[in-house]
Amino acid sequence: MQLQRALTPGNKTDFLVEAAQTVSGLLLVGFLWTHMLFVASILLGIQAFDALAHFMERFRLLDLAVIFIILTVATHVGAVLRRIPGRWQEQKIVWKHAAIIRHPDTWSWLFQAVTGSAMLLLIIIHVFVVVYVGIDATLSADRVHSWMLGFYIVLLFLAEYHASVGLYRTLVKWGFVKRHSLKRVLTVITVCTIGLGLLSLWAFYSLGG
Amino acid sequence: MSQRQLTFHIFRYNPEEPDAKPRTQSYVLPEEPGMTLFIALNKIREEQDPTLKFDFVCRAGICGSCGMLINGKPTLACKTLTKDLPDRISLMPLPVFQLLGDLSVDTGTWFRHVSLRTEAWVHTEKRFDPMAEEERMSNDTALAIYEAERCIECGCCIGGCATANIKPGFIGAAGVNRVARFMVDPRDERSDQQYFDVVGSEDGIFGCIGLMACDDNCPIGIPLQGQLAYVRRKMAVAGWKR
Ligand code: SF4
Ligand code: SF4
Ligand code: FES
Repeated sequence: MQLQRALTPGNKTDFLVEAAQTVSGLLLVGFLWTHMLFVASILLGIQAFDALAHFMERFRLLDLAVIFIILTVATHVGAVLRRIPGRWQEQKIVWKHAAIIRHPDTWSWLFQAVTGSAMLLLIIIHVFVVVYVGIDATLSADRVHSWMLGFYIVLLFLAEYHASVGLYRTLVKWGFVKRHSLKRVLTVITVCTIGLGLLSLWAFYSLGG
Repeated sequence: MSQRQLTFHIFRYNPEEPDAKPRTQSYVLPEEPGMTLFIALNKIREEQDPTLKFDFVCRAGICGSCGMLINGKPTLACKTLTKDLPDRISLMPLPVFQLLGDLSVDTGTWFRHVSLRTEAWVHTEKRFDPMAEEERMSNDTALAIYEAERCIECGCCIGGCATANIKPGFIGAAGVNRVARFMVDPRDERSDQQYFDVVGSEDGIFGCIGLMACDDNCPIGIPLQGQLAYVRRKMAVAGWKR
């Protein structure tokens, strides 16, 4: 026992931060998948998409969603920051470590940090655009006819990858599942959600600019 | 079948020589039937380079002293057959542990520290009565304890763990497994809150980021994912109630 330890007896903050990371992560996965389903309503036609958008705006669900996403993303980022090796020396160690031991799950953790950081930037832009411009099928169609198409494709892949790997890791850590069957299930879900997202983008694209 | 020539790329470094830099040295050896890395390394030392440092004691997967990175994978050299490896074999010492030289590391000091920090002994107020009949325990409990006790402290789960590589205080899967062993033992009278003081932190179970390199690499096949999850759930409940 050392003085500094004796003065700060074992408390539960480490547990609470871990809980915040897990819960916010799960909420974000749920949000992402719901979001992808809503966007996919364009596959049923412009009317369906706009009706859903107007419904969300009328009952202020859009505002709620924006507030929700800002709070949960902030919590998640705040909690996971502690996991990203801060010192340059530590960064070198983990990359070298992953390269030496050639362990796929270790690589996926590093990608998790990279995709997460990239996503943060893209999500901020995405939320800004939605808040300032609103949701409307023709506007979206216009947008995917610009450089924004690439933006959406990249964001789609980053988000689905990050969500699946994060969900996998959470379930494995808390131990409710067999790892290898879980990997298979999540791969299928990821392929499906990415496919759905690409289809939706294609639907917007074919509406013309 | 023609005999293979194996090329070993072995990490060489002597921390006692201040000017020495880590380097890789190559040795070529003809493969023999049933050759393990224990045999191969001893042949290299006997026939080619008496300065090469590495550890073996039991050469039967029991003592846990021969853990090293074999083509990157942390595992026991004495249990590894060369026929399961490609022609080119890279050998490095386990990270995290004090490097004694070449492939030899000191796992003992690390494990002793973890044992002390996790108080890895049965805590009880009961007096031992040598004349009394032994207390009974259900077979399932005994088996659960035995499962965790099989750990040979080889350190493969520690060397392979990214967290342990950057956090010197992290007790790793072996440390958590050790605590799990006492948690299931009815003779240990510690409460969940007392266990929380020991492992309910970033240095314990909440430092684990779930990469499962430990679970993938344990040469003894201890179900580390299950052990980590068991302790995590128990400590989450204890943390919640705190
Ligand atoms: S699961 Fe936890 S203990 Fe095991 S290698 Fe990963 S971080 Fe380390
Ligand atoms: S848990 Fe397995 S890998 Fe870790 S020290 Fe024990 S035997 Fe070795
Ligand atoms: S020499 Fe004892 S485990 Fe390999």
